Amino acid sequence: MSASQSAVRSRAEAVKVSRTFDWLIMFTLFFVILGGYHVHFMLVAGDWDFWSDWKDRRLWVTVLPIMGITFPAAVQAILWWRYRIPFGATLSVLGLLFGEWVNRYFNFWGWTYFPINFVFPSQLVPGAIVLDVVLLVSGSMQLTAVIGGLGFGLLFYPGNWPVMAPLHLPVEYNGMMMTLADLSGYHYVRTGMPEYIRMVEKGTLRTFGKDVAPVSAFFSGFVSIIVYFLWHFFGRWFGSTAFTKGS
Amino acid sequence: MAATTESVKADAAEAPLLNKRNLFLGVALYCVFYAWVRWYEGVYGWSAGMDSFAPEFETYWMNFLYIEFVLEVSTAGILWGYLWKTRDRKVMSITPREELRRHFTHWTWLVCYGTAIYFGASYFTEQDGTWHQTIVRDTDFTPSHVIEFYLSYPVYIITGGAAFLYAKTRLPTYQQGNSIQYMVATVGPFMILPNVGLNEWGHTFWFMEELFVAPLHYGFVFFGWSALGVLGVLNIEIAALAKLLKKDLA
Repeated sequence: MSASQSAVRSRAEAVKVSRTFDWLIMFTLFFVILGGYHVHFMLVAGDWDFWSDWKDRRLWVTVLPIMGITFPAAVQAILWWRYRIPFGATLSVLGLLFGEWVNRYFNFWGWTYFPINFVFPSQLVPGAIVLDVVLLVSGSMQLTAVIGGLGFGLLFYPGNWPVMAPLHLPVEYNGMMMTLADLSGYHYVRTGMPEYIRMVEKGTLRTFGKDVAPVSAFFSGFVSIIVYFLWHFFGRWFGSTAFTKGS
Repeated sequence: MAATTESVKADAAEAPLLNKRNLFLGVALYCVFYAWVRWYEGVYGWSAGMDSFAPEFETYWMNFLYIEFVLEVSTAGILWGYLWKTRDRKVMSITPREELRRHFTHWTWLVCYGTAIYFGASYFTEQDGTWHQTIVRDTDFTPSHVIEFYLSYPVYIITGGAAFLYAKTRLPTYQQGNSIQYMVATVGPFMILPNVGLNEWGHTFWFMEELFVAPLHYGFVFFGWSALGVLGVLNIEIAALAKLLKKDLA
């Protein structure tokens, strides 16, 4: 092949071109995945994530990991299985958190004036790191699904505990017992989302007392395993390179 | 010596592989424009956007809506028309270097698409949550909808369509047919806009409150998944770039 048929003029230029594409690709992947993941997450789990008075011991703990493991599994299916890039889950979750924090600051606080400690997003990074590390160490999709998926569910509550614990302290207010988070919610009225819509502490599990959160986390981990498998194959399909016939 | 001088002159005259100015200007355009939009929301959302029957609502929000409709249709028509009209009819016979240059331009479009998707699907969509959970809606064209549904979504649709058209009309990689995942990554997010019809119908028919996880919203979720089609585009692009660069990187 003659020099005129080469796209670059030297090896140094080829390396530079390759590195430049890395940055362009990383930027695009980060923001497109962020957009898809965020619109998915806010509409299947968002209410529990928006408001601290929705962050209960049962549904918040159950729903968020199950809905949160989806995009990390799909992105890992391409970044690891095609390119051996070991941070697909963390990249997805950091994208989601970037989108959420910008929103909570500029819009929840900046436009509708809720205090940040009432609208901060849930923490998903510990579970994502476990997913990536298990995949990196084992190289096995099945082990990542079973151990990583279970870990993703189990770690959610402890990962959020340091920031949520003060808001779950009990207070007595006008003769009623409630949490500090509940009290914040009663003070910061959301007219379009009345109290009768709030889904917290439903069912009889709360009569188990201290076991509510562990049981919810374990159930969440179990479903996360299944969802990981499902979304791994979604990811593979989305990564396919097929063309329709014709021009 | 003379030949070397000529070659250096030719290199200096040649357009750069990546036009960084266009790249930064493209991203800056979205950021500056949306910063202005956010300022407008902040000022006129509370002062003129609470009552759709008020005359100031017509002035500040309905007129904004009418203007953006006209600008969006015009922009889409001109941009997509230009890309199609100026298509390369001998795309299969371009040099490898020209092909590499066009891949860079294509990624400039994709970077812009990423920026537009971020503002549309993330920034203005979650913003809609806090607005409608706080303010009771009395119209389908609320301040947050005028921006989210009818501005930020058309903007990413126009950008995604332009990226797809650029690839289709100028890159040999995309001449064998239509990439299924490229179509998923652009048509899927586009379908979020028609799904607004279901959303508004449902909200006016049976569900005035704003529960974000309500099944009424699952159409948005389904089409949001299609953003993952970018993974397929990534794989196609990396295969094409590897073909262009592999022997030089070896």
